[in-house]
Amino acid sequence: MDPILIYGINALVYIGIFAIVALSLNAEYGYTGLANFGKVAFFMIGAYSYALLVQAGVPWPVALALATLISSIFGLLVSLPAIRLREDYLAIVTLTFGEILRIFIKSEDWLANGVWGISIPPVFAAGNFTAGLWMNLALVFGLLAVCFVFMTLLANSPFGRIMRALREDQIAADAIGKNRITYKSQIFMIGSAMAGLGGALFANFVGYIAPESFLPIITFTIWMMVILGGPASNIGVIVGAAAVQLFERGTIILKDYVTLPIDPTNLQNILFGVIIITILMVRPSGLFKESKINTLGTRRAMRWLNPSSK
Amino acid sequence: MNWAQILFNSAVTGSLYLISAVALTLVYGLARFPNFAHAEIMALGGFIGYFVAEQLGAPLPLAFVFAFAVSGLIGYLSYRGIFKPLADRGASLIHLMVASMALGFILRHSIGEIWGFSPLTFNIVWPAYDVGPLRISLNWLILIFTAVVVGVGLHLVLTKTKIGKAIRATASNPKLALSAGINTTRVLVITWFVSAGLAGIAGLFRGVETRLSPYLGWDILLPTFAVAVLGGIGSFYGAIVAAIIIGLAENIGVVLLSQAGLSTEYRMAIPFVILIVVLIFRPQGLAKAFKGN
Repeated sequence: MDPILIYGINALVYIGIFAIVALSLNAEYGYTGLANFGKVAFFMIGAYSYALLVQAGVPWPVALALATLISSIFGLLVSLPAIRLREDYLAIVTLTFGEILRIFIKSEDWLANGVWGISIPPVFAAGNFTAGLWMNLALVFGLLAVCFVFMTLLANSPFGRIMRALREDQIAADAIGKNRITYKSQIFMIGSAMAGLGGALFANFVGYIAPESFLPIITFTIWMMVILGGPASNIGVIVGAAAVQLFERGTIILKDYVTLPIDPTNLQNILFGVIIITILMVRPSGLFKESKINTLGTRRAMRWLNPSSK
Repeated sequence: MNWAQILFNSAVTGSLYLISAVALTLVYGLARFPNFAHAEIMALGGFIGYFVAEQLGAPLPLAFVFAFAVSGLIGYLSYRGIFKPLADRGASLIHLMVASMALGFILRHSIGEIWGFSPLTFNIVWPAYDVGPLRISLNWLILIFTAVVVGVGLHLVLTKTKIGKAIRATASNPKLALSAGINTTRVLVITWFVSAGLAGIAGLFRGVETRLSPYLGWDILLPTFAVAVLGGIGSFYGAIVAAIIIGLAENIGVVLLSQAGLSTEYRMAIPFVILIVVLIFRPQGLAKAFKGN
């Protein structure tokens, strides 16, 4: 198979995986305004659950579903103490949770081989590299499509309107009788489940995971995707995921063609920081505007308010 | 079990956290967001000290002066260049946090570019003394002494001087302080400078004690947050008490961990557990008990 094609598919799979995780942060931060700075923790839970289950002989579709479920349960557990907190405390607690989880996996060798990491037996067309690549691509994009449709429906549902209400004015949301703690916990579960799904797909695709695959930079990258693409826009965060992934790869390829006086990985990370600060200053709403609520009711109301529009 | 040694080690750990948490909480109380780049400013202080003391061969006290000055300058520039413009545009708390994380990445990888990511060590051999059951190294004494100087010094500045009163006024009500004729921008500039400078000193102490890496600050950041939250965000006196508590908890906890046969890596989890418990039962921290204003 053509190496360029392999590289292209590989990049697409990564884009798909991170688009799913970016969608999950969009549910939490974009729509609801929850600052989850420990995204990598749920990504990691999904990856490790999937890896351990497949190693234990569970069929991969079941492992994928269970990994998603396990991540959402962890999302609920973390949300119980954390979700009542102010935004800044929530950020600190979730960030710390990610770090502690990594220490836990590192220290407890019996669970997942500690720092040595574990490899995951290939589940697709064992031995056939090209077929496995295509299968992964199909699987990731199939699930991305499911997540996208789910998020679009969710954002336009009554639940989605409560999410936006919680983001804009919690006290008003309380006043109309919506229990914010319950809703926020549910959103945290949804977000963690999708992040876990992304992690499971990641583990399945790369075939080997270790604690060092889950550094805090992953959280930062996912935030960058959402902020660049546009919070509360599902299309936006997918475009953001693609842009960040391509940029990341671009700087790595660059080093083969251009001799830089600075290490490309360092340069890339410095540029990540510069880009995110620039976006926050120049265009805090991201590339894509927040998607409007689109239901039959809102369409009718708009026609009624504004008869000249189509 | 040598409890005297454990208590002394707690004082050492607590002193380090005191310096870094007092610095963090000053800015947190004033700018009203947690500065995640605090970690990398600490690392920067360590490396500046390394540059001055090891690469230039200057005496170590000079390294501390430069660590304070350069880190402080970075704090000043980041406030002027990033956080003030963002705050003026009405950026949300989350945006300020993300921006501070972005600044941290810029700093960390710039440090990595200059000094590399492999750990560096100071070539200083400290004299150690045996006092009864205690083994005391000179750098620990200096660290404890510095923490006391920082604590007492800031206490005097905050209570006795005009700028100290302006800092407290701005922290408690920025709009009222502004209308009372306090130049709040100047207050913030000074606070950012001092906070980052102290972070640099904390980082240099950590570097001297163990070793230097661009990730150095990251290891102190989480306990620092735990101290700041336990003390009550923005509360200087709360931070002092909380630093002692966390220092004790960590050192006693490590002993208990090894007795229980668990990895001592979990020492990092101890401040986290305290943080969670405090947030659940007393989210305002210890601050209420100490608030004089």
